[in-house]
Amino acid sequence: MKKMALHTKILIGMTLGLIFGMIAIQFPWLGGFTLDYIKPFGTIFIRSLKMVAVPLVLASLIIGVANIGDISKLSRMGGKTLGIFIITTVISIAIGLSLVAVLKPGHKLPEETRQNLMSLYDATAESKISVAAEVKTRGPLQPLVEMVPDNVFLAATNNGRMLQIVFFALLVGVALLQIPKEKGTTVLSFFNGLNEVVIKIVQYIMLLAPYGVFALIAALIVEIAGDQPEKAWELLYALLWYTITVVLGLFIMMVAIYPILIRYFSKISYLDFFKGIRPAMLLGFSTSSSTATLPVTMDRVEKHLGVSEEVSSFVLPLGATINMNGTSLYQGVSAIFIAQALGLELSIAAQLAIVLTATLAAVGTAGVPGAGLVMLVIVLEAAGIPAAGIALIMAPERILDMVRTMVNITGDASVSVVVASTEGELDVEFAKKHVNE
Amino acid sequence: MKKLPIHIKILIGLVLGVVWAFISSSLGWNDFTIKWIDPFGTIFIRLLKFIAVPLVLFSIIGGVAGLSDVSKLGRLGGKTLGAYMVTTVLAVGVGLLFVNIIKPGTYMDEEQRIKNRLSFEMWLQENNMGPAHDGKSYLNDPAYAQYLTESQMANKLSEEQQRDIQEKMEAAREQKESSPLMFIVNMVPENVLLSISNNRLMLQVIFFAIFFGITIVLIPKEKAAPIIAFVDGVNAIFIKMVDLVMKAAPFFVFALLAGVVAKMANTPTEVYEIFKGLGSYALTLLGGLAFVVFIMYPGILKLFVPKLKYREFFKNMSPAQFLGFSTSSSAATLPVTMECVEDNMGVPKSISSFVLPIGATVNMDGTSLHQAVAVIFMAQLHMVDLTIGQQLTIVFTASLASIGAAAVPSAGLIMMIIVLQSVGLNPAWVAIIFPIDRPLDMCRTVVNVTGDATVSTLIAKSEGELPKYS
Repeated sequence: MKKMALHTKILIGMTLGLIFGMIAIQFPWLGGFTLDYIKPFGTIFIRSLKMVAVPLVLASLIIGVANIGDISKLSRMGGKTLGIFIITTVISIAIGLSLVAVLKPGHKLPEETRQNLMSLYDATAESKISVAAEVKTRGPLQPLVEMVPDNVFLAATNNGRMLQIVFFALLVGVALLQIPKEKGTTVLSFFNGLNEVVIKIVQYIMLLAPYGVFALIAALIVEIAGDQPEKAWELLYALLWYTITVVLGLFIMMVAIYPILIRYFSKISYLDFFKGIRPAMLLGFSTSSSTATLPVTMDRVEKHLGVSEEVSSFVLPLGATINMNGTSLYQGVSAIFIAQALGLELSIAAQLAIVLTATLAAVGTAGVPGAGLVMLVIVLEAAGIPAAGIALIMAPERILDMVRTMVNITGDASVSVVVASTEGELDVEFAKKHVNE
Repeated sequence: MKKLPIHIKILIGLVLGVVWAFISSSLGWNDFTIKWIDPFGTIFIRLLKFIAVPLVLFSIIGGVAGLSDVSKLGRLGGKTLGAYMVTTVLAVGVGLLFVNIIKPGTYMDEEQRIKNRLSFEMWLQENNMGPAHDGKSYLNDPAYAQYLTESQMANKLSEEQQRDIQEKMEAAREQKESSPLMFIVNMVPENVLLSISNNRLMLQVIFFAIFFGITIVLIPKEKAAPIIAFVDGVNAIFIKMVDLVMKAAPFFVFALLAGVVAKMANTPTEVYEIFKGLGSYALTLLGGLAFVVFIMYPGILKLFVPKLKYREFFKNMSPAQFLGFSTSSSAATLPVTMECVEDNMGVPKSISSFVLPIGATVNMDGTSLHQAVAVIFMAQLHMVDLTIGQQLTIVFTASLASIGAAAVPSAGLIMMIIVLQSVGLNPAWVAIIFPIDRPLDMCRTVVNVTGDATVSTLIAKSEGELPKYS
């Protein structure tokens, strides 16, 4: 086991988890055992990663800004990052929309299944719609207001308020640059130490990754199967075309869009990029949580892809909250799928509305729990599609969430590589040596 | 624009904000103002709010740890701090007396106040802060139904929720009546991190900070050094942050004023009504400050130093008082204060050089008095009746917070936000009194300086080192 690369170990964990889960659903007692005694270890794994996310972002961003040492460079980097975020988001939605227009998965959904699904997920849809209604009553500038914490310590106790921590850390970093050096040294060395400690903790946690992933996947299979495995498969099968469309779109992002981005705007080869980021992608897939994966993404991007800490500590936490390419693509596909299934024709204007609201919703709902579906409701309403339609796509939600989290993470990582490369903060030689570790 | 000093720019922002409020209310643009301008005012308040807690925490720790000389000087140190505390409490008492007798907030149009009250209750509901301080709910009182706007109608509580709140109120009242010492009990945090993550538990933060600061003084120097360096560094960072925020203050102040006024008033007459109340507030505050300078301090001195004549005291002190008035900074006035106290009053240098610098940072009679008057004025403006207990919390928070905030520029504004938060009132209200803050700040400083001088004279007398007047 010792010589094996991390991603291989994680892959083995996933495969074993899959096999174990498949076996477990055949025997009811084993299924129960899995949920009671194996799943907790997966949860522990996710929790321990989430545990270090806030201190990691805080410490690394503070020293990151202090190391940049130049506020004009910081603002240039910020502008660049946001620009690329918006462009990749729009591209991903566009890909989703065109795929769904070509494959027309909604027309392949039998009427009977549709009725069935609508009644099955009625209650869940209701609750999402009411949350969305709440989100929509907020003023247009509310996201900007909520970026500013009203109590730093409170913000630090809530992973959902990562954006506030980013804001605070930026401000501390800038202030640190402007106070006399001798006053700042102790604070700086404190955060330096904290940062090193947290990074070390992440590395320890990663030793457990294969086991954590095994537990997560095994539990996932058992949970999806539920009490009546046959019925669950049937449901998933009915939505097969929809699932295929989403996954195909996400796949295109991974093998076409990001490679183009990396190829033309950075000096690193896509293969190296892919190798370096592998473990983070796999973790994103099995945890389906950007926050939990964030510490690992940061570790991979800095220690294996040669991106400087100044860039990664700035781009990645921001990306984890506002740049969700996978989620945006999924929204584009789902919106049109629902419209197709309900027999609605969408005008070009309505499709443009989808692009616009999905982009804005990505930023606007940062920090709202369960944001994916809530955002979708907002998008549906903007395009004039009945929001109750989300009942149709609930069944494969868990699985699609995994895939799109993986894409979200890859997107954030490639943006950080591009920003680093154009700022001269990317060490390609270093990357070549360390991508495989 | 670049050459203008910051307070002039803030003043311009203020005036523009008020002008905008008039324009937008007469043209019916209030919806636009609330949607697109008010959020920046909210951001300003949030910025100051999040800076406030760590600032108070670290500046008090740093300040108290820096007072290590006090413990060395033993009796003299204790006496000095005690005297400062007594004068502060007295000054705040005067402020409370004035504001409760004159009730400047009630001079405003009754109808406008009811509207203010309703929007305050809305704010409480939005922030899940429970029932208002006096336990009444104007939103649900049919007598005030005619003033409700549509959105407020929608937010009226259902019968069930009302009963729920009633029960909670009962429970809260019982707890409050359990012991008169409850507020001291509430000063001690159960969990420090919980206290610092809640803006309303500022007293607990202050308690912890003082305790922590004292402990730093008591542990061996070489162990304390890194902590002190860290605290100093963090402190410098937060002061810098205030500085950075204040650079954008003119714009923020514009947005804050425009937004707050737009929320309170829909027509120009209503805007006018809001600012009309300010006159009575300013007069009350000036009355209180004048009472402290012209009656309280001389009275105390008369009691302990009978030979010092009333007019002589002012003749001795006038240079420092004038300078304090024009700079509105007791730290900047310090050299002159020392000169006055030593040369004119005859206080020996050994005492003045110890007592006055401490006073310049710790003793803020005028500022604390101002806090008390301002907060209660704002509560009156919104028809919120505060009990004596709630008023005492204000006093406590105001005087203790002044220990740390003194060294910080724009401390008055931040302290006001701290105090408003700790009693559960809307911190955005500072916008109402902001327009006339600067001239009042000048008067406050006169009181601060005079208070420092009075205490140093008293200490000298009690040490038997005031030959000129004994």
